Amino acid sequence: MNKRKFARVFTMALLTALAAPLMYGVLELPPPGQADAPAHSNVSAGYIEHGAELAGSENLVTGVLLNFRALDTFGEVLVIFTAWLAVSAVAGKGSETGHDSTPPSPVVDYVVRLLGPFIAIFALFVIVNGHVLPGGGFQGGVLLGAMLILLSLALGRESVADLVPVRSWIWLRAAGVLAFSLVALLGLPMTGYLFGLPIEPALRHALMIVLELGIGIGGGAVLAGLYFAIAGVESS
Amino acid sequence: MSPTDLFDLVLLALLLTCAIGIARLKDLAACAILFSAYSFFLCLVWAHRGAPDVAMTEAAVGAGITTVLFLTVIARVGRREK
Amino acid sequence: MTVVSSLASHIDYLVAVSLFLTGAWILLTSGNLVKKVIGLNIMETSVFAFIVTTGMVDEGAPPLVAAGLQGPFASPLPHALVLTGIVVAVSVTSLALVLILRIKAELGSVELDEIALAPKADDSAGQSNQRGSADE
Repeated sequence: MNKRKFARVFTMALLTALAAPLMYGVLELPPPGQADAPAHSNVSAGYIEHGAELAGSENLVTGVLLNFRALDTFGEVLVIFTAWLAVSAVAGKGSETGHDSTPPSPVVDYVVRLLGPFIAIFALFVIVNGHVLPGGGFQGGVLLGAMLILLSLALGRESVADLVPVRSWIWLRAAGVLAFSLVALLGLPMTGYLFGLPIEPALRHALMIVLELGIGIGGGAVLAGLYFAIAGVESS
Repeated sequence: MSPTDLFDLVLLALLLTCAIGIARLKDLAACAILFSAYSFFLCLVWAHRGAPDVAMTEAAVGAGITTVLFLTVIARVGRREK
Repeated sequence: MTVVSSLASHIDYLVAVSLFLTGAWILLTSGNLVKKVIGLNIMETSVFAFIVTTGMVDEGAPPLVAAGLQGPFASPLPHALVLTGIVVAVSVTSLALVLILRIKAELGSVELDEIALAPKADDSAGQSNQRGSADE
């Protein structure tokens, strides 16, 4: 048989040979949904019981992300910022013209102009209320980034240039990394640990809001920057 | 089988259908749209399992950002797979 | 039979494994680079589904310890892991897509068969390859 057919048959055999131990191993786990499985009994039970007053947020996922495992979230913010650096370095200056040369229909124009501010308000609401409602920094940041992409797609590249001054893009994109570094360094004199947030509620809440705004604005600007770099829209 | 179990099974079957559909199709734009549908079904599965943060993030990132990036690249690169 | 009943109770995990293998199939056997990236994304999201399912509790509430909700809560740790994972997935996808755009600009095609037959771009690489390509 020719090379391509042999490659397909070999891949199918390889994946079937991989499927058998994977499925057998998965069947050995406790069934999903049991409340007394080991996954729920040790560390998670401690987080659910004491997490709300230790972390200062009723949304336990935000508490885990921003307080207990803040170093992992710092790594995540660094990863997405580095990805934007690499993408904008590979994509170059955007010399090929982007694809928003066709004018949108007036319906799209009107609806996007109407909905844009509401999407921005909702994104800010999700960012700031991350400690009581499901949501948090990154969710609101993705909504902000999606709003900027929507504006660029529907209204042309000048609409985003009117909203955000060109020189401030790099600071907006670095907002996540800067906010996390600031809070990490502030934790050292306050509690003696690198990311230690203090116990007293007002200061801890203020620092968590700083972190959430950092992730939100930084994440949104970086995601919009990824789209601008790939679509060839000159933004910086 | 309670209604919530049936809902769960239907969602999982739709996930597998989307994945197999992406494997079989040759039109890349259709694959990108099917990937967006797959991401939405995954968001529903996670919302059903008590993970609203993850569901919100997956809906915005998978069905929004990643699909827009795919369609932008497919518009430049060519729509049919040979 | 106990095998059938354990298959039925672990159906969530088995579907996640099947999605992983489907994504691996798409990644390994498609000739188009963009479709390979779609397959990579399917693999990544199937792993996220698996991780979130390990933190699931039947009839459980989302992990918000507010006044109204009580009862067994879903575990918050897998959700935090998967949120970081989704960010890493979008970073990898965007970097792969921008490299595909450069490949298309430099070599003219994103099909693997056509890339293998494309002439080398610059002469300096071609001269050092001409001696080694006699035995191809």
